[in-house]
Amino acid sequence: MATWLNRQRSILDFTLSSLWKRKGKNIGLLLVFTLIVFLLASVMFFTYAIKREAQIILKNAPEIVVQRVIAGRHDLIPADYAKKIREIRGVISAKERLWGYYFDPIVGANYTFMTPDPFPLGKGFIKIGKGISGARLAYEGDIMPFRGFDGKPLNLEIREVLSAESELISSDLVLLSAEDYREIFGLPQGVATDIAVSVRNPREIPTIARKITELFPDTRPIMRDEILRTYDSLFTWRGGLMIFILTVCLLSFIIFAWDKASGLSAEEKREIGILKAIGWETSDILAMKSWEGAVISLSAFLLGVTLAYVHIFFSSALLFEPVLKGWSTLYPEFRPVPFIDFSQVLTLFFLSVVPYTVATIIPSWRAATLDPDSVMRAS
Amino acid sequence: MIELVDVRKIFNKGRPNEFTALAGVSLAIEPGRITVLKGPSGSGKTTLLSIIGCMTRPSSGRVSLAATGIPWTKEARLDITSLPERFLTFIRRQTFGFIFQQFHLIKGISVLENVMLPACPTGEAYKPLRERAVSLLDTFNLSSKASSRVEWLSGGEAQRVAIARALINNPSVIIADEPTAHLDSRLSLEFMDIMGSLRDRGKTIIMASHDPVVHDSSLADRVVEMRDGRRVGERE
Amino acid sequence: MRKSGLFLSYLAVQCLVLILFALEAGRERQKAMPLLREEASMVKQWGLTDLCLFTEARYTRHPSQADLHTAFQDHPFSLEHFPSGSLIMPPERLRRHSGNMAQ
Repeated sequence: MATWLNRQRSILDFTLSSLWKRKGKNIGLLLVFTLIVFLLASVMFFTYAIKREAQIILKNAPEIVVQRVIAGRHDLIPADYAKKIREIRGVISAKERLWGYYFDPIVGANYTFMTPDPFPLGKGFIKIGKGISGARLAYEGDIMPFRGFDGKPLNLEIREVLSAESELISSDLVLLSAEDYREIFGLPQGVATDIAVSVRNPREIPTIARKITELFPDTRPIMRDEILRTYDSLFTWRGGLMIFILTVCLLSFIIFAWDKASGLSAEEKREIGILKAIGWETSDILAMKSWEGAVISLSAFLLGVTLAYVHIFFSSALLFEPVLKGWSTLYPEFRPVPFIDFSQVLTLFFLSVVPYTVATIIPSWRAATLDPDSVMRAS
Repeated sequence: MIELVDVRKIFNKGRPNEFTALAGVSLAIEPGRITVLKGPSGSGKTTLLSIIGCMTRPSSGRVSLAATGIPWTKEARLDITSLPERFLTFIRRQTFGFIFQQFHLIKGISVLENVMLPACPTGEAYKPLRERAVSLLDTFNLSSKASSRVEWLSGGEAQRVAIARALINNPSVIIADEPTAHLDSRLSLEFMDIMGSLRDRGKTIIMASHDPVVHDSSLADRVVEMRDGRRVGERE
Repeated sequence: MRKSGLFLSYLAVQCLVLILFALEAGRERQKAMPLLREEASMVKQWGLTDLCLFTEARYTRHPSQADLHTAFQDHPFSLEHFPSGSLIMPPERLRRHSGNMAQ
C-alpha cells in the first residue's frame, strides 16, 4: 500500500513538473475548463434553488384558477360563473379575483395590482412591494397618485412597504381594496379577472376542473399542479444568451480536448520513449497521463463549482442579473436559498472530469506500449 | 553473468524492408569487468546492447542472467527471453543502468528530478531516494546544479548527470551506447575514468563504441569485435 | 515541499471549502425556512400564483397564467423578445398542447 502511494506521488511529482513546463498552455486550459464548469454550475445552482423555493412558496397557490377565454385571449369573467361553480360537489369556495397590471410611466414599469380578500386596510390605503418603493422613493405614510382608466387621478396612502425578504414574490405588488381596483380600472361589478376555486379533496381537482369546462366551455381552468410544474421546467438553457455563451465555451473546450486527443507531439512521444528506456512500464506511463488529465480537470471542476457557489449564493447571481432583469425596470433583489441537488453536481463531475481524463490517456496508449528499444535507435 | 546463446534479431520480418541486425550471436559477459563492443555502424552493437539490457526481445535464441535479487524465483539463473513486459521492466530497472549516446535527459525539469526519474515507479519512499540522488550528484560534483534545468548544462555536466541517473537504482550493470560520440577527448577520457572507478566498485560495464579512446583504452577488460551482426573477433 | 504535496494539499483545502459550503448551505436553508413559510402564507393570503421574476410583460410576470396566444402576441417567437427568453420556456402544459408551436 505504501509502495503504491509512493509510486503515485512520484509519478504525480513528475506530471506536475511536466505540466509546469508548458505552463502557459496548461494554465489556459485550466482557466477555460474552470470557466465552463463555473457557468454550468452557476446555472444549475440558480435554477434548482429557484425551483425548490417556488415549490415551497407556491404550494398554497389557489387550487384552481378559472380564466375566461374569448377569441383566444384572456377576458373578464362574469361573477355568475362563481355562483355556479360553488354548486359543484367538492368545491368549498369559488371567489372572484381582481388583479391586473398598472403601467407607471414615471418608472416605466408594470406593477401587479392585487386585491386580497379580505383586505383589512380598506379603501384609500395600499401596501406596496419593496421594488416599487425603491423605484418611486415612496415610503410608509406617503401618498401615491395613480391615474385611472378615465384619466382621473386617484391618490392612495401607503400603509406598509412589504418586506425586502419577500421581494421574490412581492417586489412589484400593490395590494389594494377591490373598490379602489374597480375605480382605477373601470371594472364594473359583476365581472372579475378570474375565479379562484378551493376544493375539499385535492385529488378531485382534475375532475372538478373538467366539470368546470363542461359547465362553461369558454373557460380555462388552471390547476395548482400546473402552476408548480411551470416552475419545475421554467429554466432551460435553450435560446438566447445562455446558449450562446455555453456554446462558445463548449467549442473552445472541444478544441482543447481535440488537441489532446489528436495525438502526441513528437516531443511528448520522445519523452515517453525515454521514460520507458530508463525503466518506466506502460502502466506507469498511463498513470502519468491519467494524472495529467486529472490534475487539470479536477482542479478546474472544484474551482468552478466553488466559484459558482460563491457567485449564486453569496453574490446573489450577480452575473445573471442583466439576463434575468432583461428589459424590466423592476427586478427583485433576493438571495437564492442554497438548495443544492447533489446528483446534478455529480453528473457535472462525470461529464467533465472523466471525459477529459480519458481524452488525455487514449492518445498516449500507443506510445506508452512501444518498445523502449526504439529510443535507443532514435539516437 | 549475462549469457546470450545464438541470439538473432530481425526487424520488419516478412516485409520488403526486412533487416537482420543480429545473425546469431553467442556471448557471455563476465561480471565486474568492462566489456566493449567494437564495430562500424550497422554491425549490430546497439541491437545487442538493447537485448542485453532487456529493452527488446531477440527474434530467436536465448538470453539469461544471474537471478540475484529477483524475488519471484529461487533459481540461480533466469531465462529472460520470453518474460512478460512487467517482469522484464522490473529486471531492467533493478539490474541495469543506461547511458545513451544523446544522454536523453528530460528537458524542462531539474537535474535532481532527472536523476530520480528511474526510481519513480519502484514505489520507494521519497526521502531516502532524494538523499541518494543528492549524494550521487555530490559524487560527480554536480551539487550546485541540482535545481538547474538540464538545458543549461555544459556537455560534461550533462554527461555526468546521465551517469548519475543510470546509477540511481544501484544497478549491477551499466550499459552505455556510444557514450563518447558527442564528447571531446578530455571528456571522453574523463568518462572512461569514471567507468573504471565504477568497475572497481564491482559494477559490470558494457559499452558499444567505435571510438578508439574507448576500445583502445587500457581500462577495457575485453573488446568484442562485431561486423554485420556477428562476432568477428576478440581482444583482451 | 514536494510538488505533489502542494497539489494534494490544494485538493484537500478545496474539498474542505466545498464541504464547509455544503454545511453552510444546510444552515442557511434552516434559517430561511421561516421566511419561506411566511412567503407561502402571503401567497395564500393574497392569492398569488407566480414568483416576481420577470416584469417585462404579462406572460413573463405570470408564466403560469399565460395562455397559448398571449405567449405569441405578435409573433410566434415573441418569447425570445425578452432576455428572459434565454432562461424560461413556455409552461409545460402549453408545450404539451401545442406540440412544436410553443417552441
